[in-house]
Amino acid sequence: MLVAAAVGGAALLAVVLILVVGKSSTATTTTATAPAIATAAKLFAGIPQHGNTIGKASAPATLIVYEDPQCPFCREWNVQTLPTVLDQYVRTGKLKLVYRGVVIIGPDSVRGLRAIGAAAKQNKLWNLVDALYARQGAENSGWITNSVIVAAASDAGANGPAVVAGMGAPSVGATLTTWQSQAKADRLQGTPTFVIERPPAVSQQLPVQGLDPATFVAALAAALQ
Amino acid sequence: MRLRAWIGAAAVIGGAIAAYLTVVHYTHTSPICTSGGCEKVQHSSYAQAGGIPVAVLGLVAYVCVLLTAAARGVPAALAGAVIALAGAVFSGYLLWAQLARIHAICQWCIGNDVVIAVVAALCVVRVLTEPDST
Repeated sequence: MLVAAAVGGAALLAVVLILVVGKSSTATTTTATAPAIATAAKLFAGIPQHGNTIGKASAPATLIVYEDPQCPFCREWNVQTLPTVLDQYVRTGKLKLVYRGVVIIGPDSVRGLRAIGAAAKQNKLWNLVDALYARQGAENSGWITNSVIVAAASDAGANGPAVVAGMGAPSVGATLTTWQSQAKADRLQGTPTFVIERPPAVSQQLPVQGLDPATFVAALAAALQ
Repeated sequence: MRLRAWIGAAAVIGGAIAAYLTVVHYTHTSPICTSGGCEKVQHSSYAQAGGIPVAVLGLVAYVCVLLTAAARGVPAALAGAVIALAGAVFSGYLLWAQLARIHAICQWCIGNDVVIAVVAALCVVRVLTEPDST
């Protein structure tokens, strides 16, 4: 009798937990999607982009951002903190950002990074990264379809069909390989990882205790002092 | 008394694993990993339940089991069994998620699966043998 009660109570508790996790793992796509798309155009407006770099070429320091398009923490940083970094450091010419994509999570990451690499050729990489995060789905569920890429590219102001067509280009594959090698050289252990370059100082990983704007900007300010 | 001590000891081991993964989560560091999949699982959306890291839920559960192990009587035994069995079922679900959805295995999660299964079995035995049991 008591064991039956324990099993019943446990089953109820477990079902609630599983439903909560299942809901959050599939709902990732919808949270903050609309605001992200609505503000994407404003986010990057007026900031020069070239390939995987955003910001003025004359900026004295560079922040290299290692991300995986399927990584929830990367999305969190892009949505919450990137706008502040752009406003306070990139628009003001203090810093430029360099994107390097790495495959941490799986097959959809490769598709996403190929699309991102193709968008770099249109100088819309950062826009597409943002637009893909706005649509981020469950890991390796096949969410990065051609139609998702075309729609994201459209929001990013890029030519969607050209992005899809360019995903298989050898040069894009070479870019991904280079990013992966650079990640290894920078001793990447997870995403997002941030590396600060400020010649002549030796480049170093940015020690980040949190991805929220206040914590991140404080770490960035300390590194740039 | 000996059974409760075993439950407590197992809960301490499970709690240590959960505490380590909680620290890793909040410091945004990578867990020590020989299976190669910890990072992938850690960054998965299955690592959170309603915004709360699963590791934190595990830590809370093990602390609760530890408290029930410290107390005598049927209510404590029953509460411990409910928590441990729910934890075991939930861990089974997360194991499925690792294999079928994330396609990666985290050695810490597997370690936790073993510990919670042991804790659940001991808690059920305790319910069956607790002196006040009817």
